Amino acid sequence: MTGTQWSRFQVFVQAKPGEPHQDFGSVHASDAELALLNARDVFARRPEAVSMWVVPVGAIYTKTAEEIQNLSSPGSGPHESQPARPETYYVACKYKQTGTQTLTGSVEATTPQLALAEAIEKYAGQSLALVWWVFPASAVTQSDPNDIDSLYAPARDKGFRMSTDFHTHTVMRELKVKG
Amino acid sequence: MNGLYEYLLAMADDELILGHRDSEWCGHAPILEEDIAFANLALDEIGHANLWYGLLAEIEGQDPLTYPDQLVFTREPEDYRNIQMVELPNGDWAFSLLRQYLFDVAELVRLEALSQSQHSPLAGVATKIVKEERYHHRHSSAWVRRLGLGTAESQHRMQNALDQLWPYTGEIFLPVGNEGDLASARILPDPARLQNAWLEWVSPFLQEASLSIPSEPSQALRRKEHTVHLKVLLNEMQSVARSESGAQW
Repeated sequence: MTGTQWSRFQVFVQAKPGEPHQDFGSVHASDAELALLNARDVFARRPEAVSMWVVPVGAIYTKTAEEIQNLSSPGSGPHESQPARPETYYVACKYKQTGTQTLTGSVEATTPQLALAEAIEKYAGQSLALVWWVFPASAVTQSDPNDIDSLYAPARDKGFRMSTDFHTHTVMRELKVKG
Repeated sequence: MNGLYEYLLAMADDELILGHRDSEWCGHAPILEEDIAFANLALDEIGHANLWYGLLAEIEGQDPLTYPDQLVFTREPEDYRNIQMVELPNGDWAFSLLRQYLFDVAELVRLEALSQSQHSPLAGVATKIVKEERYHHRHSSAWVRRLGLGTAESQHRMQNALDQLWPYTGEIFLPVGNEGDLASARILPDPARLQNAWLEWVSPFLQEASLSIPSEPSQALRRKEHTVHLKVLLNEMQSVARSESGAQW
């Protein structure tokens, strides 16, 4: 946390059942419960959502493909000097520059660094993702499936109108063209 | 069904006026996320008002597309049936949040009961609206708790807000028109039961949030008297529509 700003939480949204959670951006909040509520307001009013996760940004350990190839690069995020007890880490990958971090799976590890090594081993396959994130499952706060009805479902009934849907927009453009 | 008309109009006006007050936070809320949250609340409340006005149009055999606008943009303040609590100026953030909380619980209590109404279009609208109100309540109650239990200043501001708002809460469930008859016909819930349910919900919650409920009895107003603030609000809200009546949007 810096200055007067609240902590930042990374927001993952699952659009439909069975689809992976995807990074949508971040919100500031005083705690995880409010972060989930803020995330709903900022990211789920219009697009469809069935589940959201929030993760404190400081809990995410990340490396780019370049950093992985340059073995001396420390990566960004938390560094544990002492291995703790093994715990579950979630893995999120981004494969295209224009893409988003997408939840790929999970690994068991004792530190973020070992979790990332494990993740690469398990998920690199034929192509190495451009950016890798790992974060402990214990740092994640998830929305409750019972909340779908009040938090996410009402957005489906709302019309989303582009500015061009409004008559005035067209009229103004015609006036401009006429000069 | 004149009594039902009065009742629906009262609920619609509450939603509209609170929605308008919420919209006034747009661009002014303490943090960006809350600014967006309050804009969402405003849109939801105005959307709920539109559903009730639409039902009124149906009951009256009026055009559901034009009748809501007609009600909203051409009535004088004395013809509005909202409670005074929702027309009060926003005050500080504590005041707006606490008002939202007190209203959200009232909505939940009322709408849960209305969703069981024998009048099926009414029950249908209530069932739709109550889902969003559950979210509103999550948001407002989360904040009331944090501000009430937060710093000395946040607690002080919340207590001030409660002292100011409490006298107005007595109006929320006062019977409108011949509500008693409609309650007997199981079209509307018994208002005294709703009032008790609301009080039993908010009292322990406010106390847990370190707020003391003023002992001063609530004002008994009848939705027909308004403060000067409603006139100011409507002057602004209706100014465009009134400047060119009958204009096509």
